[in-house]
Amino acid sequence: MLLEIKDLCAGYGAAPVLHNVSLSVDSGETVSVLGANTAGKSTLLRSISGITPVRRGSIKFDGHELIDMNGKDIPKLGIGHVPEGRHVFPKMSVVDNLWMGAFCKRKDKKLAERMDGIMQMFPRLRERASQLAGTLSGGEQQMVAIGRALMSNPKLLLLDEPSHGLAPVVVDEVHEAIVRIAKSGVAVLLVEQNAALALQVASRGMVLQSGHAVLEGTAAELAANPDVRKAYLGI
Amino acid sequence: MKFKGVTLNARTAVYLCLAVAFLIPLGMDPDGYLLRIVSMVVLFAAMAQAWNIVGGLANQLSLGHAAFFGLGAYTSTLLFIRQGISPWAGMLAGGVVAAVAMLLLSIPLFRLRGHYFALATLAFAEVLKIIAIHFADLTEGPTGITIPYGEPSFANFQFESNTSYYVVIVALFAVVSLIFWKLSTGAMGFRLRAIRENEQAAEVSGIDTYRIKLGTSMVSAFTMGMCGTVYAQFTYFFDPESIFSMTGISVRVALICIIGGMGRLWGPLIGACILIPLDEIAVNTMSDVAGLGPFVTSVILIAAIIYEPRGLISAWERLRRRAQKKHAAQSGQAAGAV
Ligand SMILES: Nc1ncnc2c1ncn2[C@@H]1O[C@H](COP(=O)(O)OP(=O)(O)OP(=O)(O)O)[C@@H](O)[C@H]1O
Ligand SMILES: [Mg+2]
Repeated sequence: MLLEIKDLCAGYGAAPVLHNVSLSVDSGETVSVLGANTAGKSTLLRSISGITPVRRGSIKFDGHELIDMNGKDIPKLGIGHVPEGRHVFPKMSVVDNLWMGAFCKRKDKKLAERMDGIMQMFPRLRERASQLAGTLSGGEQQMVAIGRALMSNPKLLLLDEPSHGLAPVVVDEVHEAIVRIAKSGVAVLLVEQNAALALQVASRGMVLQSGHAVLEGTAAELAANPDVRKAYLGI
Repeated sequence: MKFKGVTLNARTAVYLCLAVAFLIPLGMDPDGYLLRIVSMVVLFAAMAQAWNIVGGLANQLSLGHAAFFGLGAYTSTLLFIRQGISPWAGMLAGGVVAAVAMLLLSIPLFRLRGHYFALATLAFAEVLKIIAIHFADLTEGPTGITIPYGEPSFANFQFESNTSYYVVIVALFAVVSLIFWKLSTGAMGFRLRAIRENEQAAEVSGIDTYRIKLGTSMVSAFTMGMCGTVYAQFTYFFDPESIFSMTGISVRVALICIIGGMGRLWGPLIGACILIPLDEIAVNTMSDVAGLGPFVTSVILIAAIIYEPRGLISAWERLRRRAQKKHAAQSGQAAGAV
């Protein structure tokens, strides 16, 4: 397993948000996390990146134990994180935003090549390479955020609601990109409110409810589960 | 510009003018009013530069930098009076005390964001003021401290001529500015810029936002503490009201930066060159009508902020760009004529 989480408890202060969550992601696999608002989905991703202040349990990634690691050392190991809400550096150009994603690997010789690959994946970014990221459309900003996470050449990409608040056409575009990223061999842990889309892209999934992992299974199993259908697919 | 075979570009020309400007006060009357004002301008520029390290680079707006200023002044002065320790050593001790105070203040603060930092630093300075007034055994209380004038000597940080103080103040400004410049360039400059622009994006890019904000705020407090020592040695007297003053110190240094250009190397000097003389003129010419001086300066400052929200340094940059464009157009025409 590339990522193996066991009995993770995590939060921001005294009261934990996540309770004994376990989850694994194999190399190249796409796993999706479903759950209502405040279920703790973002907290789960932030715990993997080492950003939540309190973490207990075990998070093993590619032979490293992350639980006591400082968040600044985690991207270097090969984890890219696209946070919820289109976070770009607004007054930096698109290219500089992408460079910042490789900040932890700034001595790497293959950066130019990787930048080229990302521009190929998102041709729109190539057209706007020198434009300030803050002046891009919402969808373009999301592409910048994804591209930035890819610049560190991650083995695992954490995507937090990448299609949230985007126009339907752009949602399709972003999801096509996710499929392409997954095909290129990067493992993806995808958090989505749009469960139908998430289960299309993912091979397995998990449902979080108030910080507890209540369901796990293949995407097909989850899509067939009556509770999931009612709560997340609206059927 | 060509001068005896040496090509001067605009940048070196500006730096040369600046160096000359710093030298002019050496020729001023050592006991004169003018040298005193110039010294105050440079001292406030140094203080504003200290504020600029956390306010401009880490985007944590402090409204209580008087706290660290006062801690520096009290630490070195009390060590000197009570223990006979040289104020030069006291200056470093004051810096350390200020930095540790910032550390203790920041541990809970950086989890909270934004305005909490401004409010908490403001409250912290007010609390220190009250402590300094009430713990008279330690601090001499509300009457303040007068530094005994002994034999002028370098070790005692006491000089015969105000010109020497001016030199010390310029050196202080240079040191704080050098620290600012070091932090604002290179890899650290990129980290701070990322934090300034979007903290969450910085966090997931592998930047330890918490520790970097903590570090810059401590460096800022340290340098502000050093300024406090220099101020105390320069004025020979201070009291809790003036040294921990919100309007006189905390808000003033923040305003100097905002007017001059936040996060910019030359912002504090530009701001101080405008604000300090303006306050001085207001006090000297408009004190007959209560409140007129502050009113007039406030109006001027508001106008400056409306006219140039990113600091007067951007007005200067616009002028320079325009000149460059004109220059380029002219040389283009010249080339066309040939
Ligand atoms: N920085 C924080 N400090 C304290 N509590 C937080 C913080 N961020 C989130 N929480 C709390 O943790 C809980 C889980 O939040 P989280 O953001 O992980 O939910 P989520 O499943 O991602 O929800 P959403 O679908 O709205 O994004 C919430 O109750 C929230 O209030
Ligand atoms: Mg979330």
